[in-house]
Amino acid sequence: MNVKHIGKRNITVGSVILYFTLTILIFICLYPFLNVLAYSLSGYNAVLSGRVTFYPIDFNLSAYKQILGRTQIWIAMRTTVFVTLIGTATSLVLTIFAAYALSRNYLPGRSFFTGLILFTMYFSGGIIPTFLVVKGLGLFDTLGALFIPQAINVFNFIVMRTFFRELPKSLEEAAKIDGASEFQVLFKVVLPLSLPIIATISLFYAVGYWNSYFDALLYIQDPDKYTLQLRLRNLLFGEELNTSGRPNLEGIGTEVMSQSLKMATVAVSTIPIIVVYPWLQKYFVKGVMIGSIKG
Amino acid sequence: MVKAEKSRKKFAQTLRNIWNCRMLYLLLLPVIAYYIIFKYLPMYGVTIAFKNYNIFKGVFGSPWCGFDVFEKIFASENFWRSIKNTLVLNFATLIAYFPLTIILSLMLNEVSHVAFKKLAQSILYLPHFVSWVVVAGIATNLFSQQGGTINWILKSFGVEPIPFLSDNGWWIFTYVVCNVWKEVGWGTIIYLAALSGVDETLYEAAYLDGATKFQRLIYITLPSIKSVVVVMLILQLSRMMTIGLDAPLLLGNNKVMSVSQVISTYVYRLGIENAKFSEATAIGLFQSVVNIIILLAADKFTKMIGEEGII
Repeated sequence: MNVKHIGKRNITVGSVILYFTLTILIFICLYPFLNVLAYSLSGYNAVLSGRVTFYPIDFNLSAYKQILGRTQIWIAMRTTVFVTLIGTATSLVLTIFAAYALSRNYLPGRSFFTGLILFTMYFSGGIIPTFLVVKGLGLFDTLGALFIPQAINVFNFIVMRTFFRELPKSLEEAAKIDGASEFQVLFKVVLPLSLPIIATISLFYAVGYWNSYFDALLYIQDPDKYTLQLRLRNLLFGEELNTSGRPNLEGIGTEVMSQSLKMATVAVSTIPIIVVYPWLQKYFVKGVMIGSIKG
Repeated sequence: MVKAEKSRKKFAQTLRNIWNCRMLYLLLLPVIAYYIIFKYLPMYGVTIAFKNYNIFKGVFGSPWCGFDVFEKIFASENFWRSIKNTLVLNFATLIAYFPLTIILSLMLNEVSHVAFKKLAQSILYLPHFVSWVVVAGIATNLFSQQGGTINWILKSFGVEPIPFLSDNGWWIFTYVVCNVWKEVGWGTIIYLAALSGVDETLYEAAYLDGATKFQRLIYITLPSIKSVVVVMLILQLSRMMTIGLDAPLLLGNNKVMSVSQVISTYVYRLGIENAKFSEATAIGLFQSVVNIIILLAADKFTKMIGEEGII
């Protein structure tokens, strides 16, 4: 039993206040999500009057049905899934390569290369010069622009390098004595021991790609290549209240309807994260701790 | 003679080491290529801050113009306002976020019920993973003056509707609330790590000596996380000139532009929306240089007060 908590087995005033406050904080944390669900499932008149707070009023699924009918949302969803999968894979492979090579203390030139990477954390050309490079490479308005220019995240690189460094050296040495090459050491010894960190870094990259809208705003012109977050932004902040580009003839009715629709789209675009999150949660705390030592 | 022999041997040894590591260099090759193309090439691109950029002539062909671009931006009122706004929003967020994170960590650390603690942590970390588009969308729904849920609740208590999103002062408040909501739970991880490292026997000894819970907090818990707190504070202070584009761009609107326009959004609007490449790049460069100076100073300061450096 934890000594710090001696005396807390009994219910004290202090512990009641503690648990009560934390429960309120948890509620504040969750309430916005609840509000989104309530709005997305509420009926027309309830949304119009603005009296939806905690639970749906006049429960109905029409907003979700409307999303199902919007091909643009599905195209955006497909693009986002594609970019997230390819992007995460690319990022993960490059980060592993960099972290593995630069975690070997016998590599000549290691500190030079590490410095080259770390320096970009503190100094960058900024968005315009980067934009010009991406454009110059012909990546403008291609899906490649959504993951190639930001393939490696320095923070994730540091986390992974630290993890690789702390792995016991003996296994690796044994493998080398048995004649294993660097690749074999990496794939047969190091990576199988690194599943928790791989899960963590994958989560960070995947969430980053899933949530990013700015790269799409910057580099994508063709609406068929819009990502989900960019669609969502346009939907939420007024630039595409109706799908077809036609003027909104139905007037205020559609306007209010769209508030449910907006929140339903928010829900649809957030649910994948909420579904994946609990499975990876047990890993990432350690990852963050490793990373925060330096960085 | 012997010396030359030695250094030649050493050189041969180095070459052999490099050759032995050829596989590792092969792994590094795509990484270095990536950094050169997407990070260092744009760094060369900052030269357009000193040029009269012409789309047709490109980065290399455009004529040099010295510090003309800088003179132009330093004379612009919008530029100074975006710097002021960046600092105001960052400080306002820091003042709320920093103490709340520590208090929340201390609270979570006191929870002895393991299942409750785990659940609380899972829920409190969750907003970190939600995109800014979604946060801004939810915030608009909650805070808007007409039909916003919070104003609806306030109205039922007889409070006049509050212009959370359209009044300058209230907008800053809303901005801080959204930031704190999103990141406060995530920020506790590092403090919880430091707290879990505190030597249990200290608490035991203090308990046996009759220290109250509060005394244990003041004399054991706080001193043991002091260095983490100091380093985090300095780290966050050193980032005062930087704001990610997402939050101010998405939460902002035309009515509050005079407080929501920060350096990053200004660069974006100037550069991408108005195609003033040289000016936008110059502002970005100015920001980078200021950041580096602050960072070096902060690092020196942390070392001076006896902590490990932050670089």
